[in-house]
Parts: sequence; C-alpha cells; structure tokens
Amino acid sequence: MGIQRYVAKRTLQALLVVYVVATTVFVAVRSIPGDPARLILGGDADADAIAAVRAELGLDQPMYVQYARWMGDLVRGDLGESIFTGEPVASRIIGAAEPTLSIGLVGISIAILIAIPAGIISATRRDQWEDYAATGVAFLGISMPSFWIGIVLLLTVGTAIPAIPSYGYTPISEGIVPWLANVILPATAVGLPYAGIITRMTRSSMLEVLGEDYMQTARAKGLPPRVILFKHGLQNALLPVVTVAGILFALLLGGIVAVEMVFGVQGFGRLLIRSIERQDFPIVQGSVIVISIIFVFMNLFVDLLYMSINPKIKYGGEA
Amino acid sequence: MGADYGGYGSDDTTRLFGVRLDRFDRLRETLTGDYKATFGLTTVILFVLAAIFAPELAPFDPMAQEYAIMQAPSLSSAHPFGTDSFGRDLLSRMMYGARISLGVSLVAVTIGAVVGIGLGLVAGYFGGVVDDALMRFVDVLWAFPWLLIAIMLVAVFGQGVWNVIAAIAFAYIDDFARLARGEVLSIREEEFVLAAKNIGLSDTRIMIEEVLPNAVAPLIVQFTVLVARAMLAESTLSFLGIGVKPTTPTWGALLGQGRSLIGQAWWISIIPGIAIVVTVLGINLFGDALRDAFDVRGEEGSP
Repeated sequence: MGIQRYVAKRTLQALLVVYVVATTVFVAVRSIPGDPARLILGGDADADAIAAVRAELGLDQPMYVQYARWMGDLVRGDLGESIFTGEPVASRIIGAAEPTLSIGLVGISIAILIAIPAGIISATRRDQWEDYAATGVAFLGISMPSFWIGIVLLLTVGTAIPAIPSYGYTPISEGIVPWLANVILPATAVGLPYAGIITRMTRSSMLEVLGEDYMQTARAKGLPPRVILFKHGLQNALLPVVTVAGILFALLLGGIVAVEMVFGVQGFGRLLIRSIERQDFPIVQGSVIVISIIFVFMNLFVDLLYMSINPKIKYGGEA
Repeated sequence: MGADYGGYGSDDTTRLFGVRLDRFDRLRETLTGDYKATFGLTTVILFVLAAIFAPELAPFDPMAQEYAIMQAPSLSSAHPFGTDSFGRDLLSRMMYGARISLGVSLVAVTIGAVVGIGLGLVAGYFGGVVDDALMRFVDVLWAFPWLLIAIMLVAVFGQGVWNVIAAIAFAYIDDFARLARGEVLSIREEEFVLAAKNIGLSDTRIMIEEVLPNAVAPLIVQFTVLVARAMLAESTLSFLGIGVKPTTPTWGALLGQGRSLIGQAWWISIIPGIAIVVTVLGINLFGDALRDAFDVRGEEGSP
C-alpha cells in the first residue's frame, strides 16, 4: 500500500470515528430527561412560550430532521449556543482554551525535561542507586492524583514563595514571566505523573536499545561513549516514547480539569464542570465532540509521525 | 512453548480456568524475593482489610457530627487524623471511603477486562471482517476519554456508583481488547492451536481453553496497572463532584471537601490524598513485580 493511500485510509477511519462519536453524543443528549425549553425558561413558563422556544431550537421537528440539521451545523463548525448566556459554544470553548492549553503544554514540557534525563540515567546506571532513586520517584509520580499534587504545591511552594501566585491565570499577552509564574504550579501538578510514565518508558526502551547489535558495533568501532549513547542509543530509544504522546492526552485531560479547580483557573475544565452543574448541555456536548476530535487526530498524527521516523514499520499492517 | 500447554491430555497437574497452577510456582518464588512485590502486596492487603472491617475497626461513626470539635487538627487525642468541617472523624470516614474507592475500581476494571478480553479474543482469533468491525468499535470507545464518558453518563443518568463504574469500565475496554487481540494474533498460529482445530474442538473451546490461558500473563499485569489507574480516575471524579454521591465519603470526595478549607484545615485535603497515593503506589509496585516475574515485555505504566 502506498503512503498516500495509507494516510487517506487512516484519515477516513478517523473521520468515521468522529462521526460515530458525534452521533452517540446526539443520542445521549436527546435521552437526557427534561425539556431544554423548560430549562431555558425556568419552571413556571407558560405553554406558549415553551412551544415558541421549542420551535426556535428545532425541537418540534422529527428526529431525523434534527439529526440532519445537527450534523450539518457540526460540519460547518457550529456547535450551537449556551442555554444560559446565548453565546456560541465554539467561542466559549475557544475562550477557555488558552489557560488549559498553557497548563497542558508547560506540564508536558516539564515532564519531558525531567523524564528523559531521568530515564537515561536510570538505564545507564541500571541497578545502582541512581536507578533505584529514579524508579522510586517515577512510581511515586505515577501514583499521585494531579489535583492532590496541586494541593500539596499550593500549601508548600505557594505559601513559601509569594512571587508565585497560587490562584487564577494571567494571559500570555501580559508577558511571559507573569504568565509562567502563574502557570508553573498547575503545570507541575499535571506534569509530574506524566514524568513518571515517561521516565519508566525511556528507561525500558533505552535498556532494550543498549542491548542491540548496532550498539555493540558502535562500541567496536571505537566511537566515543557520548556519541554512542546519544546518536545511536537515544534516537532509537525515543521512538516508542513518541507513541505515548497520543495516549498522554487522555490522561492529561482528567488531570488538567481537576487541577484547574484547585487553582481556580477559568479554563476548559471549569467551563465543562460548571456546564454539567448548570445542565448547559450544548456546551457539554460541544466540548465532548471537540475533545474527541483532538484526541482522534492527535493519535493519527502520532501514528504517522512514528511511521515516518521508523522506516521499518509497514503501512497497513497493524499486527 | 510446546504442545503441553494444551488444555487437555492426561497430565494430573492442578488447573484453574485451564491454567496449570505449577506454572505459578516460579512466579511465587520470584515475588517473595522482590521488595516491590512485598511492599506492594502488604500495603494493598492492609487497605483491603481496613475497608472490609471498617464497621469493626473504625473508631467513630463516619456520619456522626460533633459540632464542638469541628475541624479538629490531626493527632488531637481522640481523632488521629482530625475531624472535618462537621466534626466527623476523618479516619473513620477514610476507612469507609476505602470500601467505595477500592470496590469501584475493582468492579470497573473487572467489567472492562471481561468485555475487552472477550472482544480482543474474538477479533484476534477470527481475524478478517470480524476483526475489522470489532476493532473499529474499539476505536470509537477509545475516542471517548474516561472523563468524557463519566460526564455524559452523569448528564444523562445523574450521579451514582454504577455510573462511575460504567465510565471507568467503558474506558478500559479498549485497553484490554487491544492487548488480548495482540496476544491472540501471536498464539493462534501455534502448533497446539492448530492441533486442537484438527481434532475438531469448537472455536469457543479453543479460544477459552487453548488461547486464553497462554495470554493470561500480560493481561494480569494490565489488570493490576489499570486498577491503580482506576483508583486515580475515581478519586478525580469524586473530587470534581461528578463521582459517587457527594455525601458518600470516598477518598476523592473527602479531598474535594477539604479544598475550600486548605487555609484553615490542611489535613482534610492532605491525609486522604496520602491514602490514595500509598494504595495506588502499592498496586503499581505489585504490578511491576508481576511484570518482571511473568517476564512481560511491554510499555511501562502505559496501557
């Protein structure tokens, strides 16, 4: 199978998955007990007003018409309006995205900065104290809920260093330093568990690579140890680590949502939780679809990236 | 791997679900010498016992409110872990909370495992169109991160233990399905499977008695790792207030209630967190020791 056909096939599959997700969300939201029109107008609205709002929302149409309209809107990027504020869902989500993306990206960066060196040290000093220390810390990281790390950071670093604000969010447009100072604690809380996972992955993948024939060859050629480790070893060892990036996203999401609550960040997580509490279903369903789309295409991207840096992988064969 | 792994024949070894128990002797030897396994298993057993015997062991009624001692600090004489904002004993609440936190995770991962392994087994064994269809279905499941499944279930059905269990179980089906399928693909061409087909055993019997026992090691490791992760997921949902009912004292919910009191009563949010960390760490270490003992090659800490 040629590369273009493979990419096209995978993209179509990804679109199919998104389509099924959107349909599931459509069905799920329609099975929520209660009438959205009544929710908008409040409990004591009269029947005429409710009928008017139902007509406006298209709820008086047959189900297949509603479905077709919903899919049509979705394809054009229209996710509907918030029940309470009337704002377009898409703009609410975009508005809440910056803090969340900041925490996520800084968190991943922190995780990688800690984990890759820790994993390399762990592998090259196998069964020595450095390895045990790195392994112990990594396991601790994997075992802590992000929001709890957040609380601990808040109580320790947050109170000890007044220069680090422990509440809210400063947009990046107000300067890199205030932004970073505000993001660093939540990002660390989100990043540490992932640092744990990546450390363990880097270690095992590095150990495997260190035992490969080409490493022996490189040593036999008399190459300097540094070149062997970084050029021959690390490059190959990081391949499987890259694939985790897609999986990481799912894990990060739960962490970020909870950490936003700890630090009072008005991000995507808070929007989501608030909307559930207020039963603002258009926002909930829009968020679910947006996250699924990011999720599916991120995974596709990682797969293609992995394939392009590892020529041994054949297109099409999964097993 | 030889023909003697087959689920029939005249050997008289003890079997459990078609798995020869003498295969676990080596495992037991490896585990008893491993500090990770010892620590992990001991911790988990202690917490499980505390959960089971909560009614006998808990010093106080977890719901009893004592307004005279609201937010009593930890290590105060009668309340080793202090009290919450209603004067309820935190230790007792945590012991009862352990029942929910451990129970929900175990049940959820078991359901995910049964469904996922079933799907993976059938997909891998039959291959072709069946494989394609089932794995596309698994792809769709995978596209819903657990948090979103939980959110949708809460939106549609309201809060409750079974919604949390369903959300976590759903989210882990794809992990088990992919792993089981991968194992089956490498096993199904083995001679003993072909032999079983030649003597006319039914597909169901071959899958359950021949293929599954040989794929069991990585699945057990996966199970352990996911129970640890399920506990974190459950605590996150409870913390966010979309888990089990807010009045139920799960570890995550206790933490969530302590959040607004961080300034006055730090122990309410710190101590239940330590319980979560120690338990999850115990399970993770035990899982890692199992991975070493079974000699399962695979990604560390990732599904």
